[in-house]
Amino acid sequence: MDDQVNVAEARKGFKWVGTSPVRPDGVPKVTGRAMYGADMKMPGTLVGKILRSPHAHARIVSIDTSRAAALPGVRAVITAADFPEQNFEYIGPERVAVNFWHVTRNIMAREKALYEGHAVAAVAAISDSVAAAACALIDVQYEVLPHVIDVDAAMAPDAPLLFADMITRGVEPAPTRPSNVSKRLEFKIGDLDTGFAAADVVIEHEFKTATVHQAYIEPHACSARIEADGQGEIWASSQGHFAVRALTAKLMGMPVGDLRVYPAEIGGGFGGKTVVYLEPVAAMLSKKSGFPVRLAMSREEVFRATGPTSGASMWVKIGVTKDGKLVAADGVFKFQAGAFPGSPVMNACLCAFAPYDIANARAVGYDVVCNRPKAAAYRAPGSPISAFAVESVLDMLAKKIGMDPLELRLKNAARIGTPTIFGPKHAHNGYPETVQALLDHPGYRAPLGKNQGRGAASGYWFNGGGESSATMQVNADGTVLVATGSPDIGGSRASMAIMAAETLGVDYKQVRAIVADTGSVGYTHVTGGSRVTFATGTAVVDATKTIIKDLCRRAAMIWDVDPEAVVWEDGHARPAGANAGAFPPLSLKDIAAKAAQTGGSITAAASVNAGGQAPGFSTQFCDVEVDPETGKVTILRFVAAQDVGRAIHPAYVEGQIQGGVVQGIGWALNEEYIYNARGLLDNPGFLDYRCPVASDLPMIEAVLVEVPNPAHPYGAKGVGEVNICPPMAAIANAIENAIGRRLTELPMSPPKVLAAIDGPDAGAGA
Amino acid sequence: MGVAPAKVVFTTGFARRYTGGEREFAIDAATLRGVIKEMDRRFPGLGTTLEEETTVAIDGAMHEVGYFQKLAPGAEVFFIPKIEGG
Repeated sequence: MDDQVNVAEARKGFKWVGTSPVRPDGVPKVTGRAMYGADMKMPGTLVGKILRSPHAHARIVSIDTSRAAALPGVRAVITAADFPEQNFEYIGPERVAVNFWHVTRNIMAREKALYEGHAVAAVAAISDSVAAAACALIDVQYEVLPHVIDVDAAMAPDAPLLFADMITRGVEPAPTRPSNVSKRLEFKIGDLDTGFAAADVVIEHEFKTATVHQAYIEPHACSARIEADGQGEIWASSQGHFAVRALTAKLMGMPVGDLRVYPAEIGGGFGGKTVVYLEPVAAMLSKKSGFPVRLAMSREEVFRATGPTSGASMWVKIGVTKDGKLVAADGVFKFQAGAFPGSPVMNACLCAFAPYDIANARAVGYDVVCNRPKAAAYRAPGSPISAFAVESVLDMLAKKIGMDPLELRLKNAARIGTPTIFGPKHAHNGYPETVQALLDHPGYRAPLGKNQGRGAASGYWFNGGGESSATMQVNADGTVLVATGSPDIGGSRASMAIMAAETLGVDYKQVRAIVADTGSVGYTHVTGGSRVTFATGTAVVDATKTIIKDLCRRAAMIWDVDPEAVVWEDGHARPAGANAGAFPPLSLKDIAAKAAQTGGSITAAASVNAGGQAPGFSTQFCDVEVDPETGKVTILRFVAAQDVGRAIHPAYVEGQIQGGVVQGIGWALNEEYIYNARGLLDNPGFLDYRCPVASDLPMIEAVLVEVPNPAHPYGAKGVGEVNICPPMAAIANAIENAIGRRLTELPMSPPKVLAAIDGPDAGAGA
Repeated sequence: MGVAPAKVVFTTGFARRYTGGEREFAIDAATLRGVIKEMDRRFPGLGTTLEEETTVAIDGAMHEVGYFQKLAPGAEVFFIPKIEGG
């Protein structure tokens, strides 16, 4: 990294940062020509199809694939036996620890099918119809076992066990009996007894959230080609093609260097495409058949077999003094992990009370397996769930002590130096600014009508940093190519081009940003954790600074002066001063034209492990109207303030905020997995799993609060996730103000709202 | 060194597993590499665990564990479990 080029200090005002130019990926997308995961077609490609378990929980007695393999047109049939066994060990950090013994069993069931839709075998054939016929010829003998879906039921002593030898981690001494509880966590600060003793008002309540899916528009899809020499290629849409490469190579038992993964366009991920489902299966089918294989999920398969986020059962207790000082908080968070350990309960614990200065607090979490698809990440994983409980109780407390709910939050807002429940002190501001932005918003005091209510809530998310890479090359005509390893989900190609153009001092249209495959750019973490603008952006700026230094060196060669006699200003090399000589400025194009004479191609690469990312804070309020006849909740107004550091491309930032809020509205009002008595999912499609659509919603007003992060060249903070944390509680709080009833279970669908209205004290909290 | 040592802190659960319950340490180090090296000397194997399982907050600012992180005199170095995002 070249510290001599300090962009943030060098440029007083920005030319491109803070503007919203046309997105570079727009035209192919609106014309239907963008290449998504299912669009790659190679000569000789076979159709892959997966046979899935019809049972929620069953022992696999036998699998006979002989009749399927004998069907004309079938080129390969595989089961779990084709994949190498993996060691039972948790690898990596606790929350993101990967146990490949579990992962390989999620890809393809071995001893047991653990949820409806669990893959048990796969075929590759010359057509869809042959593949379907082959799947029908696979004879799987099951011994159906009792199942458990609900998290509280799964924790009961007599619950059916998914794993007969699962001993809860994090409990000392270790339990002697197995259970479905994979792990217990506890984080604590201060003294709870002392804290609650100082409270004038204490409120505690139980809450439940439903299992919800990320509901990305594009189902999972990929193509794979494994050659006879063992080398292979995969084309897939994902949130991280380097992760696809690492996971697939491990599950296939092949060296990472033998696999190259190409990123397709991605039609949404929201965390759900940070893991693999199809890629190892397609690769194994290709290896076995000798042909390329394409696999694509149906929408039903997406719902039945890919990871939603956890449903949860929670209890939260908070104490406050009469003048509004929060003095103690306690919470228990029980999360469904799905069929294998690994819910986001740790994040829920860490984030639950993070926006607040509470001297005495504890969060206890349980990771619980049950007969559902394995949970995957979903936008600020874990945080929205605990926020629903905590922000609901805060609203009850504010009402009880007669204080405005935003004023209560502002009074207790975490600031620089405030301790967190997980240990370190906050290093960034940003939260109180979001609360103040809403207190200053004219809508917050606007009058409401009959059956209408207003509610507010806040949320916290860590945001991410970490490893990212970028390469840059200057073309012969002075245009610039920026390649990164970050799949573009939220507009990163535009923001990378903006930051490169700003740093170089050239026109945005001169810079083309692309997403490069695993063989063409350095390792880059997944596009997740709201990390790309921060970390990959830092790599792009670093690469640009290196290019600038090289351009100055080449200009010096052209002028035949010392490199120190050249400076880079406004996209041109210029003499550093009068003593450097009187030369006309050299543009990027001028220097590119002399690339051969000055040493060859003008390129640079940068890799970073970016740190110092700032967390995201969001505060939101909404107005709702409740129809007392039907229980339907209509969102009348929604205002979301978020600390974004500095918005590189404000239109995209607003889009992130609006998207997160809309997903939160879906969690709040309608979305849920509905299982029948046999443990089978009854609503695996968008007709019955109801996401909000445009006609359900008002314009979501995004308020961009800018408290720049000094650790980023342009002050950016992650903006993709925290916006989904407040909506559920904000809506619950608004409903309570509309109908005088506290709803504590998601989704707050019309039947539940109607029951609350009609019931004597149904669900009333405080 | 001769300046204020870094205050190195672990979560309760982490300390229970790896350091016999001891949560706080004063370590003379100018970089995170120095902290990791010294902790590994005191608790053999802990260095690898810190590198692979934790995120580090240096005076509150979050980082992935990297040898290159500089420490100001008296810095607070808090190792916490790694986080993932969506």
